[in-house]
Amino acid sequence: MSEDAQRDRCNNAWDSVAFGTHCVDCYPNNCPLFVFVKDGKVVYEEAAGVLGTVEAGVPDMNPMGCQKGASWSRQLYGDDRLLYPMRRTGERGEGRWERISWDEALAETADAMLDAIVEVGPAAIVHEVSPEIAVMPAAARFMNILGGTSLDVNASINDFWAGFHQVYGKSAFARSVDDVFHSDCILIWHSNPAYTQIPAFHYMVEARYRGAELVLISPDVNPSHSHVDFHVPVRNGSDSALALAMCQVIVSEGLTDLGFVRSQTDLSLLVRTDTGEFLRSSHVEAGGRDDRFHQADPARGVVPADAGSLLLDFDACLEGSFDVELHGGGRCTVEPLFARLRRQLDTHYTPEIAAPICGAHPDTIRTIARKVARGRTSILVGAGMTKYYHGDLIQRTMLLLLGLTGNWGKKGAGASGWCSAMFDGTTLAIAKVKAGGEAAVELRDSMRMVTESMREQDPTLTEELAASSLWRMMGPGTGMSPPAFFWYWHMGYRDRWNRDAWNDPAMPRKFDEYWNEAVESGWWGDAARPLPQSPPRVLLEIAGNMLRRSRGGKAVVLENLWPQLKKIVAMDYRMSQTALYADIVLPATQHYEKTTFNMPTPWTMFLTMSDAVAEPPGEARSEWEVLAALFRKLAERASERGLEGYADRLGMQRRYDQLWDNYTLSGALIDDETVAADMVASSVALGNLPAGTTLETFRTQGMCRYTNWGISAFGTGQASPFPDGETHVPLRNHVELGHPYPTLTRRAQFLLDHPWYREGGEDLPVHKEPPAMGGVHPFALSSGHSRWSIHSMNMTNPVIMETHRGKPFVLINDADARAKGIDDDALVRIHNDAGEFLVAARTSPTQRPGSLTVYNGFEGFAFPGGKGANEVEPGLVKWLHLVAGYGQLTYTPVEWQPTPSDRCVYVECEPYQGVQPAPLTPAGGDTQAARSALADS
Amino acid sequence: MTSPSQPTSERQVSMVFDLNKCMGCQTCSVACKMLWTGAPGEENQWWCSVNTQPGLGTPKGWESMGGGYDVEGRPVLGKVPTAEDFGGGWQFNHKEVFFGGKGSSVHLAPSERGTGAGKEPTWGPNWDEDQGGGEYPNSYFFYLPRLCNHCTRPVCVEVCPSGAMYKREQDGIVLRDENLCRGSRACMAACPYKKIYFNHVRNVAQHCNMCFPRLENGVAPVCARQCPGRLVFVGMLDDKDGPIHKLVHEWKVALPLHPEYGTEPNIFYIPPLSPHRLNGDLSIDYQTPRIPPAYLESLFGPKVHAALDKMRGELAAVRAGGKSELLDTLIVYKWQQLFGPFTTPPGRVGAVGKEVQP
Repeated sequence: MSEDAQRDRCNNAWDSVAFGTHCVDCYPNNCPLFVFVKDGKVVYEEAAGVLGTVEAGVPDMNPMGCQKGASWSRQLYGDDRLLYPMRRTGERGEGRWERISWDEALAETADAMLDAIVEVGPAAIVHEVSPEIAVMPAAARFMNILGGTSLDVNASINDFWAGFHQVYGKSAFARSVDDVFHSDCILIWHSNPAYTQIPAFHYMVEARYRGAELVLISPDVNPSHSHVDFHVPVRNGSDSALALAMCQVIVSEGLTDLGFVRSQTDLSLLVRTDTGEFLRSSHVEAGGRDDRFHQADPARGVVPADAGSLLLDFDACLEGSFDVELHGGGRCTVEPLFARLRRQLDTHYTPEIAAPICGAHPDTIRTIARKVARGRTSILVGAGMTKYYHGDLIQRTMLLLLGLTGNWGKKGAGASGWCSAMFDGTTLAIAKVKAGGEAAVELRDSMRMVTESMREQDPTLTEELAASSLWRMMGPGTGMSPPAFFWYWHMGYRDRWNRDAWNDPAMPRKFDEYWNEAVESGWWGDAARPLPQSPPRVLLEIAGNMLRRSRGGKAVVLENLWPQLKKIVAMDYRMSQTALYADIVLPATQHYEKTTFNMPTPWTMFLTMSDAVAEPPGEARSEWEVLAALFRKLAERASERGLEGYADRLGMQRRYDQLWDNYTLSGALIDDETVAADMVASSVALGNLPAGTTLETFRTQGMCRYTNWGISAFGTGQASPFPDGETHVPLRNHVELGHPYPTLTRRAQFLLDHPWYREGGEDLPVHKEPPAMGGVHPFALSSGHSRWSIHSMNMTNPVIMETHRGKPFVLINDADARAKGIDDDALVRIHNDAGEFLVAARTSPTQRPGSLTVYNGFEGFAFPGGKGANEVEPGLVKWLHLVAGYGQLTYTPVEWQPTPSDRCVYVECEPYQGVQPAPLTPAGGDTQAARSALADS
Repeated sequence: MTSPSQPTSERQVSMVFDLNKCMGCQTCSVACKMLWTGAPGEENQWWCSVNTQPGLGTPKGWESMGGGYDVEGRPVLGKVPTAEDFGGGWQFNHKEVFFGGKGSSVHLAPSERGTGAGKEPTWGPNWDEDQGGGEYPNSYFFYLPRLCNHCTRPVCVEVCPSGAMYKREQDGIVLRDENLCRGSRACMAACPYKKIYFNHVRNVAQHCNMCFPRLENGVAPVCARQCPGRLVFVGMLDDKDGPIHKLVHEWKVALPLHPEYGTEPNIFYIPPLSPHRLNGDLSIDYQTPRIPPAYLESLFGPKVHAALDKMRGELAAVRAGGKSELLDTLIVYKWQQLFGPFTTPPGRVGAVGKEVQP
């Protein structure tokens, strides 16, 4: 081309441009983009770069984006885009379809839902919440109003920070991504930010250029390694031994931040030497409370610990022992928890003892420990850590390391979990019973009345503690339920979870004994549902992908769940693994084709919107509109069948002819535009967004900074003043103002003196080896968030697929591969006692010998034979996560409930020489073939 | 050594890539792909590509394909890389998998286009991603983004038999007039960096044009402007107050790739530091760099050692509480500081329709 032709190609490729973003569960997320459109189609997108400086002297967040965002539009027009409603004509999963009208599709779906309600009740209609935030309000509101079963997706994918919750009583807090710039020492621990935090990665390097030292702790020489000063290669799952050894160094070398430990942690509380429990008020006085504890004052001896404030006017003892007279006679000896911890560290976790366990040299352990103690230390820990069987222990030991060195609630220090908060509009869209901003204020005021009366009754409650208590009380009422109960009662996991050989050998009793005790004692209350007598009949997948994400894969889902389902309906913009095995497929719109908001998170502190700027292809429709139409169709079909209503799980009557009105608030929330406008109105009324903010604000400036934390427990759980002109650091209220933590002891709690934890040897943080999940086999298989996808999003983007090998692969150490006779790119068979799959090998010296990695997100249909890595994942849940009714260990949506583990699964890996595997037998379903087979028999 | 026929330019637009910030995310390469190489015949073209070093990269084994100038300053015609050497431009069987009625007897997989149509690919634009070198636990790699170097001595221009190629006077950008290009591929043979692709549909060669239509409007090249790692500096090499001049000529930490090829690239790289290596007993070896210095020298020439010493010295200084103008420059407190005079947002110019007002 001539210069002019190239100018024309560059400058005239588009006729309009708008702001956009990608509303998916990605972090830090909220990347503002320019979206370039020509003739109703998106031609390309580009980082907008419109973010100003937040804190003087800290780099701005521009441009924000990544390769997925830069080619997102290619997914809109790919060969896997769903264009029309379709009905399966072959077996489930066979890939035979016929195009049907929207009316037919909705009628068939509505009929199946009516059948399910009549046969079983609304709980038989199951939906697994999608982490795609653009869809979540519509789907969640639909399921709430229907009264169906909504499974908590954060549990399914196990992004649960159980260890954070055990220690802090919360895990949904996070600092802004720019705060790491203030760190002196950054531990990239079991994390690979070069893959997982592309838009924020620069802050780590910039911190290094400011003077920080970076340490990578990981089994593999992972792709973030080239940016750090030290790499500490650890054995898979041994991180807790390393952390505890660093704690031992800190305590024994006198590097402990004693003031921080005394006020912020339970290490200054007194524990009984006879039972190992905390000394409670109920132990020493008549009518004493079970949730009041004690410290020792050098002058006054044993004194009650303040439940309302962490500020101390004395130096609580951390050593020594004290004699206490027990209520009802008898005496016992008590000591500060710190003393017990110190003994445990000195006995079991010196660097010399820990070194052979974790694989780090004792000198390295000491070197890193001293760096942690010397300045402001951050731990960048990824959600891979949450997916280890003993991931909670690893997190507890990491937080112990930070606690001993005074490293949270300060700029440049601490560790973050997951958090979505601040944009109350999106949460209220799920629950509102009236449209408009005033309705949001009324909701806030009624919540305030409850929390204020709680605080009147218990003056030790801060605003955060009251909000946290309310959130836990409301948990079962949020509409979501913990999927563990569904899996156990309806999906065949019971057998797997009871295999002793796969569980922690230190689990003293059978899994079922714990299960029964947890259920029968009512610890989970109404959250333990749907009950065994309420089997699933309809699966509504709305941007979800159960078949890809379920640990256990097709072997579990197709064998156990699918045969029970009379209708599987998948609404998606593309053919997902689950959609491929559905009965009805409904084409949905994608970003740029509807007006939706991004995941609101403190990681960025601002909100972005994706606007409807492109024509949806084919007959794709937005989820909100489809679900509204489905309610209308449900009422129509019910009326034809003479059905008026049904009882929900609480026995309340719901009428079919009111569902649409309830969903749309009598037509006020009728489409994406009205819903988005109402979200903004709610948030403006509540002060989350500046006064005067409208959809137009987002359309003209691309983003909007928040102005307060909002009313949710995840907002108040930040426990920090709302930042103005500086980076956001959570937990400051605890550290600076002495506000108590939402835990049993009101402190960062390292001792869990629940009987099960004592029995399992985990009342204090300890190291435990990963159990033999999958059986005894030579390779430890793990995973991680990939570079190339957000969950399975972009895994079929043809541009992105050329940036890797375009297919799934397993990473294997090059020497291991040679020993096994496996060539690079050759097909291997990976198998264990749970299942098997085939995948191409990628050999590399960066992979730890004896370990394998298959990155997450590849769809099953991209593996030869159609089975993905989840086939070999047993999906065990840890029995100790069945505990509820103990302080912070109380059912909390998105924070506390049993979750499956999938890291460090043991497998064999061998060259595969066989022919392509036989196709899977599609299971269940009311197909023509199944019907005729029945007729034949 | 410059021969009379060699083009020169008044000024030179240039880039510095700070490899210590590069995470190999491919945003630059994807951004370029989206903007420039979506037309028929361009399927396998990645004018900007990012590969893992050590590795064979794209085209496969390009460092041993030859080209550039010999010691006497004469152009060398090396290998013309083939579509197979580059890899990519794949097609996928979505329709067969989703709508073909074959169940799980088929799976989604890439296949070649063109001459090898239907074959399973054995190479691609980033085939050896993250494989690297060394032995565990002292294995290592880093990422190397590459595009046309817009060389001061562009051997491609010199060997073009049809006079289609030229180096622009005002900014030194190397371009080709496709109306004159007759598809001889001499440029591909001569380019020692093998960053020129062949379009079989239009029968012309194509390469990175430095986004000159954007530069003309004050907009930074799309690879640089979208880089989330904030590692690409753009500007005029002779701007003595700009970061590029300082990094290249004052602090001498930014170096050309393979200076021995003799074409005098105008894309410069700050070479990679690396973590301390480990001794046999897994204690830390503070003395030996993890990435072998000889390997880095093979890429960036003998000046790489001084550049790395300078970087290490400055890091030690800030860790001791000191200041470093060099590191402050590399931090880039304000994103726009990366782009010299090219700070206009892309949505404002050339628009036929509505403009955005950020």
